[in-house]
Amino acid sequence: MLEEPVELYLYSRDASLMHGQATCVVFPQTTEDVAEVVRVAEKHGVPIVARGAGTGLAAGAIPVDGGIVLSTTAMNHIEIDVENRTAWVGAGVINLDLSNEAEPFGLSFAPDPSSQSACTIGGNVANNSGGAHCLAEGATTSHVLGLEVVLAGGETLVLGGQAPDMPGLDLKGLLVGSEGTLGVVTRALVRLLPIEADVRTLLLDFEELEGATRTVSDVIASGLVPAALEIMDQKMTTAVENWLRAGLPCDCAAILLAEVVGEPEAVEAEAALISRIGLANGARDVQVARDEAERAILWKGRKSAFGAVAQVSPNYYLHDTVVPRSRLVETMGEIQAIADRYELDVYNVFHAGDGNLHPLMAFDASDPVMMDKVHRAGEEMVVACLSRGGALSGEHGIGLEKRDMMRADFTELDLDAQARLKEAFDPAGVFNPAKVLPEGSRCFDFGGVKREIPDGAWV
Amino acid sequence: MLRLRRGEAGDTGRGLGMTGAAGGGPERIAPSSVEELATILKAATEEQRVVNVVGGGTRQGYGSPPHAALVVEMNSLAGIEEWDPDDLTVTVGAGTPVAELESALAARAQTAVLPEVPGASTVGGVISAGVSSLRRARLLGTRERMLEVRLVTGDGRVVRGGGRVVKNVSGYDLPRLVVGAFGSLGVITSVCLKLWPKPPASATVAIDDIEAAKRVKRPLAVLERNGVVEVFLWGTPEEVVASSGRLGGEVAEGHRWPADPEGSFRWSVRVPPALTTPAIDRLPGGWDYLAVHGAGDIRAASGNADGAEELRMWVEASGGALVAMEAPVGGLNGLDPWGSPPPGLEIQRRLIAQFDPGRVLNPGRLPGGL
Repeated sequence: MLEEPVELYLYSRDASLMHGQATCVVFPQTTEDVAEVVRVAEKHGVPIVARGAGTGLAAGAIPVDGGIVLSTTAMNHIEIDVENRTAWVGAGVINLDLSNEAEPFGLSFAPDPSSQSACTIGGNVANNSGGAHCLAEGATTSHVLGLEVVLAGGETLVLGGQAPDMPGLDLKGLLVGSEGTLGVVTRALVRLLPIEADVRTLLLDFEELEGATRTVSDVIASGLVPAALEIMDQKMTTAVENWLRAGLPCDCAAILLAEVVGEPEAVEAEAALISRIGLANGARDVQVARDEAERAILWKGRKSAFGAVAQVSPNYYLHDTVVPRSRLVETMGEIQAIADRYELDVYNVFHAGDGNLHPLMAFDASDPVMMDKVHRAGEEMVVACLSRGGALSGEHGIGLEKRDMMRADFTELDLDAQARLKEAFDPAGVFNPAKVLPEGSRCFDFGGVKREIPDGAWV
Repeated sequence: MLRLRRGEAGDTGRGLGMTGAAGGGPERIAPSSVEELATILKAATEEQRVVNVVGGGTRQGYGSPPHAALVVEMNSLAGIEEWDPDDLTVTVGAGTPVAELESALAARAQTAVLPEVPGASTVGGVISAGVSSLRRARLLGTRERMLEVRLVTGDGRVVRGGGRVVKNVSGYDLPRLVVGAFGSLGVITSVCLKLWPKPPASATVAIDDIEAAKRVKRPLAVLERNGVVEVFLWGTPEEVVASSGRLGGEVAEGHRWPADPEGSFRWSVRVPPALTTPAIDRLPGGWDYLAVHGAGDIRAASGNADGAEELRMWVEASGGALVAMEAPVGGLNGLDPWGSPPPGLEIQRRLIAQFDPGRVLNPGRLPGGL
């Protein structure tokens, strides 16, 4: 247990720009420890905020106005069942460690957020994390077969299992993506996939962004669902190239990173098809990674894109929204227009196959005027996506960051239903309060403790 | 406009005997709008009338069907609402027949990956009963199709969860929660589903030995029907030809999907994937079966329930479930259709109470008497 001010400060933040105030930090070793923490917290009316690596970008893991930060890092056991291609994994296990552990058995864990070398399975479950490869394989929820969870009252349940369609309501499915607001997940039973026999990674560059997005649509229309389809705009490509020196083309409007996996004959044919479609849509050049080293460097560029922006500005604010794929191009235009209006630099790198955008605004947070601009521009970008039939968040979560924007997406009755759901699990409001749902979501909710965001939480 | 008509006693219970309201049978209503449905359900809650919901009527024996005073027929809330093939999503009324949806999607080489031989099943029915495609080992089950749900709660509230994009983490995952919930959280009126493009080539390869199927890493499906094993492939022509060669069996172009076995008793055996073959070996004599290898999903049919209890003991000890999906009246001899109650009954009860406070939607149909 940590109680020193400096330590508490560290555990009062996550990868977002917000912070709260932790009362203490605990490191349970076992599920029974977690149950005990829950019972103590309930007895004293203190909130619990479960935390993995704190890489979340939506301020889902910060203790808003005091509370116990429950770090899952000590719960890091992995138990692989090769025959059934599953693993029971402690909530504190790091995403990449699981795949590394499974590799000797020819297996891997599909969800691969950019933060995979730091983020934990517990955090992935809480946020239903995605990654570059969820176009073909789905996000975390598609890979969670069971959960061990501690609910209100310290009640511990094991939900789901290796067998499909276990009878009763799918509680484990509901817990995935609930951002720690319904209980504390201590272990997850996850599906592992066989490592594919072969892989081809292609880099296509385009003079027009539309050529890249059209290529994505045409590839899918041809009946192919590649393992990944990622687009970076010119600004982002330049930032990455300045740092990585991988020979990325910086004089084009956009680059498209495509990856196909499968039997050797399949990847050969599919890579050829993607090249043809790309060239037909105005690609200037198609490069195919010749070996694992070349492939690794292409992916390093993609997954380190956000870090690369550090050379440009001391801070960045990364958004996460989704639009129907057919509306990608016009949405990108609108995002640029918003950035121009606020005189902000916007960098784009996104999961094009999913229509999942990640506009990134680089700025200096020591300037309060800039900070305000960034927030206002960001909100407008999200609204622009919603107005095109999109969603508030594709993979980062709602947390504290977007909870007040939930009203822009859902009706009062929709939010009331969500609040009732929360109430069924957590009547005392102990689990990660103030996240996901805006204040007063429960219609006719006049009682209960008001939880305001403390002053300065936005910085 | 409400359309009311009297049904005949038992005609929605499919053998499980449904005693209706005074006058012989339950009242039947086919709402033609969401608002109408909301009015009906609000009144049902106020009057404490038990409601059953019917789509295609193909799974009315599943679970423990209620003695309903009111049967809501969903056929009028049907049709494709929104579909842009570029987006790989479709929004569709719950009463739409699965066959109709899939045939529309097939015209643009797409599929919703719902059951392949659906009969009269509707989209809402398949979702509520939690029935999945035979392609589930590769493309996963029906819950993975769910992007958005609109439903009317037991007390008549119109609620939406999720959204019409392929990736979304905004709020709690109501769309997936309604899969297999038998309407206990509300009557589904429309859903947005994630689609999958159909690649240009497909083939079915008959093999003698299930072990041979392992020569292809991720086939679309490996099905075993009463001892006959077929591997279903799709992809580019190059891939399908290469994989067919590797399997080394008799190759037929395209896919002819088998129907679930028919019988007066219909069962669903759910086991960890690696136990699919041991489970088949333990099926009582005379049971027809269709097994989805890699998914642990075995659909079976029989003329009686002999041996079911013994099978259930083994299946449950192995971490699975044996569910009776259909049985003649009294045929189960006291055997619970679901088996042992699942964990978390209390939290499930509290959840349902938030969506159906009067508990009028299919009460008692779920496991554990929920």
